[in-house]
Amino acid sequence: MKEKNIKLPLFGIPKLYPYIKPYMVQIIIMIILGILSSLVDSIYPIFNQYALDNFVGKKTLEGLTAFVILYVVILVLQVIDNFISVYMCGKVEMSMDRDLRDAAFSHLQTLSFAYFNQNNVGYIHARVMSDTGKIGVMVSWRMMDIIWNGSYIVCVLIMMLALNVRLALYVIVLVPIAAVLVMYFQTKLVVLNRKIREINSTITGNFNEGITGAKAIKTLVVEEKIQNDFEKDTENMRRVSVHATHYSAFFTSAITMMSSFALALVLWHGGVLTIDGVIQIGTLSVFLSYALGLMEPVQNVIVTLSELIAVQVNVERLTRLLETESDVADSKEVVEKYGDTFNPKKENWEPLFGDVEFKDVTFKYPDGDEYVLEHFDLKVPQGTNVAIVGETGAGKSTLVNLVCRFFKPTSGQILIDGKDAALRSQLWLHSNIGYVLQTPHLFSGTVRENLKYGKPDATEEEIWNALKLVSADGIVKRMEKGLDSDVGEDGDMLSTGEKQLLSFARAILSDPRILVLDEATASIDTVTEKAIQDAIETVTKGRTSFVIAHRLSTIVGADIILVVKDGKIIERGTHTQLMGKKGYYYELFTRQFDEAKFDAVFK
Amino acid sequence: MSANKQTKFATKTQMVLFFLKGTVFFFALSILFSLLVTFFDLVGPKIIQYTVDYCIADTRSTSVPFYIRVIMDGLGDREYLRTHLYLVALVVAAIALLAAISRYLFRLFNSMGAEKLIQRMRDTLFDHIMHLPFTWHGENHTGDIIQRCTSDVDTVKNFISEQMSSLIRIVIRIVLAIYFMIGINGKLTIASAVFIPIIVIYSMFFHGKIRSAFEKADTEEGRLSATAQENLTGVRVVRAFGREQYEKERFVKQNKEYTQLWIDLMRVLSAFWSSNDFISGLQVMLITVLGAVLCVHGEITVGEYIAFVSYNSMLVWPVRALGRIISEMSKAGVSIDRISYIMNSEIEEDKPGAKEPSLKEDIIFDNVSYAYDNGGADVLKNVSFTIKKGTTFGILGGTGSGKSTLMYLLDSLYSLPDGCGRIMIGDTDISDIKASWLRKNIGFVLQEPFLFSRTLSENIGITQKKTDIKAIRDAAKIAALDETIDSFGQGYETYVGERGVTLSGGQKQRTAIAQMLVSKPPVMVFDDSLSAVDTQTDARIRHALSENVGDSTVVLISHRITTLMHADRIIVLDHGKVAEQGTHDELLAKGGIYKKIFDIQMQGT
Repeated sequence: MKEKNIKLPLFGIPKLYPYIKPYMVQIIIMIILGILSSLVDSIYPIFNQYALDNFVGKKTLEGLTAFVILYVVILVLQVIDNFISVYMCGKVEMSMDRDLRDAAFSHLQTLSFAYFNQNNVGYIHARVMSDTGKIGVMVSWRMMDIIWNGSYIVCVLIMMLALNVRLALYVIVLVPIAAVLVMYFQTKLVVLNRKIREINSTITGNFNEGITGAKAIKTLVVEEKIQNDFEKDTENMRRVSVHATHYSAFFTSAITMMSSFALALVLWHGGVLTIDGVIQIGTLSVFLSYALGLMEPVQNVIVTLSELIAVQVNVERLTRLLETESDVADSKEVVEKYGDTFNPKKENWEPLFGDVEFKDVTFKYPDGDEYVLEHFDLKVPQGTNVAIVGETGAGKSTLVNLVCRFFKPTSGQILIDGKDAALRSQLWLHSNIGYVLQTPHLFSGTVRENLKYGKPDATEEEIWNALKLVSADGIVKRMEKGLDSDVGEDGDMLSTGEKQLLSFARAILSDPRILVLDEATASIDTVTEKAIQDAIETVTKGRTSFVIAHRLSTIVGADIILVVKDGKIIERGTHTQLMGKKGYYYELFTRQFDEAKFDAVFK
Repeated sequence: MSANKQTKFATKTQMVLFFLKGTVFFFALSILFSLLVTFFDLVGPKIIQYTVDYCIADTRSTSVPFYIRVIMDGLGDREYLRTHLYLVALVVAAIALLAAISRYLFRLFNSMGAEKLIQRMRDTLFDHIMHLPFTWHGENHTGDIIQRCTSDVDTVKNFISEQMSSLIRIVIRIVLAIYFMIGINGKLTIASAVFIPIIVIYSMFFHGKIRSAFEKADTEEGRLSATAQENLTGVRVVRAFGREQYEKERFVKQNKEYTQLWIDLMRVLSAFWSSNDFISGLQVMLITVLGAVLCVHGEITVGEYIAFVSYNSMLVWPVRALGRIISEMSKAGVSIDRISYIMNSEIEEDKPGAKEPSLKEDIIFDNVSYAYDNGGADVLKNVSFTIKKGTTFGILGGTGSGKSTLMYLLDSLYSLPDGCGRIMIGDTDISDIKASWLRKNIGFVLQEPFLFSRTLSENIGITQKKTDIKAIRDAAKIAALDETIDSFGQGYETYVGERGVTLSGGQKQRTAIAQMLVSKPPVMVFDDSLSAVDTQTDARIRHALSENVGDSTVVLISHRITTLMHADRIIVLDHGKVAEQGTHDELLAKGGIYKKIFDIQMQGT
């Protein structure tokens, strides 16, 4: 992925202000302590100076004890200062990280599906887990780097000017030269490093292709070709990396050379001044130390600044996430009456009966440009079973997305129990909907935790009843620890069929008034398939249900069948009506029927 | 690099040495220049010392050795130098320039070595992986292997070019600095040097202790990351059950725990850093004070004092880094092990004396049985049949009937264990044929073709040595792909995959067919390769194919009778066994499985 340059006012810090604010006091203390520490660092050479001028110069050890005590006291104070500021810095970093992650995660819980459809999981995940970290580092360590190095430079400049203006000017003259040099190289390096990262991801991609494509590579016997192309990339990587080292090596060498030049200048002019008796040897030695130690902080400040510039991309991305508003958000009045996502007012919730009606609904997806529903009307009285059929990718989920208010209609209304769904809270609606997914999603944890997901206060008896209803009790009994067995990450320890049945049980346990089923496409063995079909029949009985079906044999008995093609509903009716029509449904059904019979021959 | 026939690596060192081949020269040069850098860096304080003692203060008698005095006198007498101090400055600048050049060369050579090393590791690993048997790929997770080839490789590179190199550099610096310091004063040197083992051991001890805390924090971060990941992938479930609040609380709780771990760790770390500051500070103070005392007693000169203080401060950071580097070096061992797991996996190798016979022969499956893993259920049971050369052969079978396995065996992707029958091409057992020869001559269109993230023309012509755009276009035409390709903005130069267009299943299959047609192999296998293509296109392709296969032997695997009915011979595979075989008419007359399926499929039409 190409990286872009983003420029925000003040590196984007104002946008982060609400997250910085709680730590303002700590940050101010950190800054003060940081400046103090740099001040002490710039004082140490003065101790040398004193030793040279007063003990060595005067050939006496008088006052040595006081000298040692003062030195140690200052050292101890600086150590304490450093301990506090470094610890605080780490704490501020981690705390801000945490706050930003919490904020991003919580905000994601309120965003609509439009957001999740437009951004892939990897992208969103990186906003929550990695941008936050980079911003935390920026506000704490990077800022402190600038404070430490910047205040050190200022302290040293002041000390030098105070000791001898003329000599100081010789050193100061070199500072802007060094700064310009650093900036030049840093700009070059940023570009090269970006290129290196790009090649690096190409190489990782190559590995991925070489491994996942092993079968193709072997059958085509193109190992050599793939290897040659791979070696072109690694050769390119080597060339660019070495090229980058030319700059970075030149860069560090130049900076240390600048330090030595400063030293030479001080030795020359300072030497003359000392010989002339204008300054003492001690002062000369202080200048020598300062001259040697000044260029590195200059380099650090500039490199840190360039890192700050790089972090703006992360600030931009994260704040954009935080500023995104859900396009299905509840209105103010609704929130007032029913509460929001995190603070529901359940006492005001009406019971849900299960009548659903689409009234003159027109809809297009926020990221699409074609209307998939136009002036669509459909009455689904309580207890009706609606089946939605069509080929993979035909857009069968649209109706379900609207019923669940995952998206809002572009125009028209969806009535629940005769009242516009937008007039009630999403959480109220969702609490009354059961949802079984095409690819069943279980959370890592125990079977029990997963089953209770929709009904946290479910009793042991209720759980087992739900399991029995969908014949999943056998699965759980077979597991070593029963309900307390771990399902693994994403339910990895279970087969697809088992996951499917457990997700049915989960849905039924919350006893929803409206049930949505997205039938599995994955091939599962006959026994499980039968069990799932039975489960579907059991759970849809007496409930308003929407079934997105892939195996048409399962929905023959549905009250209404909607046939979707290219995103649009092209036929509707019962199975008998649709078969009589000999249209698209008829075609779909016979094709599947043949395939089923084909496999049946081999069974 | 393809003929890498290195044997297994018995030890970590052996493998590292193997990778280091060809880089040693660069690393040796980099060490040489780092020695020069250190030398020039350490000469600086000496010059200051002489300048101070010889020119500025008047203590030359004790501090400045005879030969230096000769050189300095050569430049001019003391008085001359005192009035022409810029000469000294020029010497310092000249040495700075030399130091800079050495520093530049040291870093450059180090990087050249490091990049060469990582390139060699990557190339060797990739090459090795290319040549590992197909079964190996099934047994290992892609993500894990990629991890080994990327981050573990980086770790090893850093181990050599950063850690080892720093270690050598620091040791050189310490040794040389101590040498120079002893030259000034033995007592002071001892006072300074006693701190070195203290700091190094303290730091090693600390870093060893803290590692488990770091690992714990890492694990905790992994958990937090997984929670976020799960929430995002399961967003529909979360919403549908209205469990946003629960999810938020769960994340916030974990986030808090994770953050607290780090904050605790930060406290320990800052305590360590500060205590280290304190020890180093004490050392610097001790030298300042002791040096002053010795200076007052006349044991050292002012210049020597200034020089010694510089040497001492030059040692502070390298010594502090030493402990950390040593304790971190052990991490590389794990990465080396992880890489040697791949390098020590056995690659596919032909039998000695493997042949390259003509494949325009009959293909004979003789009593073949096969099971995927040891002791698992047989996928194929005593399968025998003959595919006559130059004919079209059809295989009909249901899901899991073993029809694809048959072809994987023929292409030597899996090898038949002893006693499980044999597969012959003419008179030669395929295990006596070079695998690459066999595969080159058997074109294989997979059911779910894999396309490379390259252009369409590169994908179609991937087996070509030199791109022949006409052959590519002709092949695309036969595979009924030309119109589709023309509809893309960039035609044949359209990128496929992540960076380009996503092809549908049918388009991928047709691309794979075109790919095979470009090389026109003597044996062509179509493994359900038109399953995602609509019926009309299917017929069109089959028609075009029949005109273009020439005298190649063609094997068609399908569940569509229409695809198979014109084959010269058809077998019906049922649960790993040959249930029926014959021509279309014979099989219909038989009234078995084939007939039943024919009836089902012909019903609608």
